[in-house]
Amino acid sequence: MRRPPMHAGPGPEETDMRLVAAVFAAVLVLAVGSCAPAQRINLGRDAGYLIAAISGEPDQLDPQKTSAYFSFEVLENVFDTLVEPDADLTMRPALAQSWDIAPDQLTWTFHLRPGVTFHDGSPCTAADVVYSYRRVIDGKLANADKLSAVTDVTATDDRTVRITVAHPAPNLLTNLGGFKGVAIVQRRNVEDGQIASHPIGTGPFAFVNQRSGDAITLRANPHYWAGAPRIPGVTFRFISEPSTALAALQAGEIDWTDTVPPQRVAQLRGDDSIHLAVTPSNDYWYLAMNEARPPWQDVRVRQAVAYAIDRPSIVQATSYGAAQANQLAIPQGNPWYTPYDKYRHDIDHAKQLLREAGTVPTAMDLLVTSEYPQTVTAAQVIADNLAPLGIRVTIRTVDFGTWLDEQHSGHFDMLMMGWLGNIDPDDFYYAQHHTGGASNAQKFSDPRVDALLDAGRTETDQQVRHQDYAQAATLIADQVSYLYLYNPSVVQAWSPRLTGYEARRDKAIRFRDAALGGARP
Amino acid sequence: MIILRFLARRLAYSLVVLVGVLIVVFALAHLVPGDPVRIALGTRYTPEAYEALRHASGLDRPLAAQFVSYLGHAATGNLGVSFRNGDPVAQVLAERLPATVSLAVVGIVLALVIALPAGIYAASHEGRLSDVIVRVTSQFGVSIPDFWLGILLISLFSTTLGWLPTSGYRPLFDDPAGWLRHVILPGVTVGLVAAAIMTRYVRSAVLEVSAMGYVRTARSKGLPPRVVTLRHVVRNALVPILTITGIQLATILGGVIVVEVVFAWPGLGRLVYLSVAARDYPVIQGAVLLIAVLFLAVNLVVDVLYALVDPRIRLS
Repeated sequence: MRRPPMHAGPGPEETDMRLVAAVFAAVLVLAVGSCAPAQRINLGRDAGYLIAAISGEPDQLDPQKTSAYFSFEVLENVFDTLVEPDADLTMRPALAQSWDIAPDQLTWTFHLRPGVTFHDGSPCTAADVVYSYRRVIDGKLANADKLSAVTDVTATDDRTVRITVAHPAPNLLTNLGGFKGVAIVQRRNVEDGQIASHPIGTGPFAFVNQRSGDAITLRANPHYWAGAPRIPGVTFRFISEPSTALAALQAGEIDWTDTVPPQRVAQLRGDDSIHLAVTPSNDYWYLAMNEARPPWQDVRVRQAVAYAIDRPSIVQATSYGAAQANQLAIPQGNPWYTPYDKYRHDIDHAKQLLREAGTVPTAMDLLVTSEYPQTVTAAQVIADNLAPLGIRVTIRTVDFGTWLDEQHSGHFDMLMMGWLGNIDPDDFYYAQHHTGGASNAQKFSDPRVDALLDAGRTETDQQVRHQDYAQAATLIADQVSYLYLYNPSVVQAWSPRLTGYEARRDKAIRFRDAALGGARP
Repeated sequence: MIILRFLARRLAYSLVVLVGVLIVVFALAHLVPGDPVRIALGTRYTPEAYEALRHASGLDRPLAAQFVSYLGHAATGNLGVSFRNGDPVAQVLAERLPATVSLAVVGIVLALVIALPAGIYAASHEGRLSDVIVRVTSQFGVSIPDFWLGILLISLFSTTLGWLPTSGYRPLFDDPAGWLRHVILPGVTVGLVAAAIMTRYVRSAVLEVSAMGYVRTARSKGLPPRVVTLRHVVRNALVPILTITGIQLATILGGVIVVEVVFAWPGLGRLVYLSVAARDYPVIQGAVLLIAVLFLAVNLVVDVLYALVDPRIRLS
């Protein structure tokens, strides 16, 4: 038997190999550090920065192009709009100090605040405003529908912008200032291709750097038109696991987070060591049945489903109660709220409606997406709710890309989704319920609703406008274009050290007035 | 010279593997339902915006043409730009790589430090209580979900004791102390899970060698048990141990998504996960390419080490 040598000194080949192994090891170790980003700015807790944890990384930082909430959480603090919503969501001056409306309601003249500069020191003038709006309109960017009434934007001098509209546009201010998707950007920043990764705005904080997968750092803008922030800067960390974010808050590593485990809300309410805010939001979640497919085109079938749904159970399952069940889209407390409580959980009445309709659906394809786990959770409750009617619900859980495809091509019986970041009633209804509306995937069509929604776009008498929308909302719910479920709450938690910050119902995260007192625990 | 010829051949072979990997990734990424353009536009979709963005991203060209131009660019180190934010993919990967390598190195070193002594000890006390304890503990370690272990470690060492940060990452060369403080908890999480798996392999490898005739000979010629174990048994058990170490290391390098999520660790795993969800093809392709390179590199090192620990194995 050939016995292998058990031990021998290193031969020439072995030395070679040891060398190679050592080189590999060295390369591996060097790789740890050699690729580190060039910035060596150690801004963080030592520098007195506010550390905020958001639950994901912004996809990009161009406010006019992103549609991700994570991006807007950061960009809310970097950019400005002409006007902006105050705490009650009424529009107040921002970059525009004042404005006049011509008697025919077709020309709006905005007077810009003097002396506003971008973060690189260059002045922000009327030309920048014109450029920003033209970019959205001419580039057919996703937010172009906010400016759909606008026929012309011109700068009459450095500090005056004139906007003409095709018809009276009572929601123009909301569309110009409701969120940072129509923010005023800097032409050079756009044209040199930097805006998506190194945005330059006029807001209270300036972008410093982003560490991929880790954090974005902003520094205070001492020349901010509304006064320099009281904190030197903000670091947004990306912590997607709610338990970790909460532990980090309790350990004093972060000062603020909106990544709060919903099942912990009840327990945290009694915790003095952190401040918890649970504020009803303008977001809403809904079900929609595909009216291009029988039997869902029959309003009685849709109403039967509406009577079979148990909203409180869905709210409990998805939000552990930290949400408000609602049969319409707009929550109580909002100036556009309309009371409505036609539906109740009533299986007998649902069966009665199905009998009247003369068709009993036996199967339903319910389209939900893992991107929004609440839709997956709610789907199970809904399947259970509909079983007594003899409807067997097949829950189809897909990723968001597939979901959007399926929705767009009408491959569904029912779907669940939410609309986030709505302010003006037009945001709530037009695209969703107008015949042929851009987001009317359920193919709802009612001439009365169309007329009311069209009127709402041009009605300048606020009281009449309110009545138009109340009537439209009632019709939409009566006919179950959407089966509204609930308004989720904005749930945020912060350290008692943080003052000058309030949770807002539009979910804008504004740190411009924030202050940090005392030492971290 | 043998070693150089070996490396040259392996390099050529690696290139073939990488092209193959790219073809598969390219095909898979495009076959998965879901359109990156539609996702980028989200609920604000309009047909005009869709066509414009599709054209701008080059996605309206034939798949084969897209692949060929991708290969051409990749060969020169240009991995394209992310669909989502226009960042160069190579730069994004370079930012993520140090975090991933940090976690992998710390995890695997810790795993070896635990698994080698524990496995050898258990094997040399086969059937006794200590062996049973090691086996039960490692079985337990294999069964623990890593996110649970991570959350447990955070609540003990960060929330309760306040010794270590809950999450986050610091670059090693910017802030060595910060790097160490931040890498410990995720490193331990990854390391303990790997250690549990590796302990079982070390134990069975050592047991297998212990049954060999030459070990009996070594014992019967009166060598002390410690010398027999270290010089004769462990040295011969190193080949399977190296194999499992290489596999574990490569797995961690490929991304430990759950651990990265729990500790908000900016590694490759989360990047791949998010990019797949957004159908960000350039980032998916670049990241998978990088992970494949890391896999091949680890394999190469393991093969070289095989020859180092067992001269019977020739590099050919």
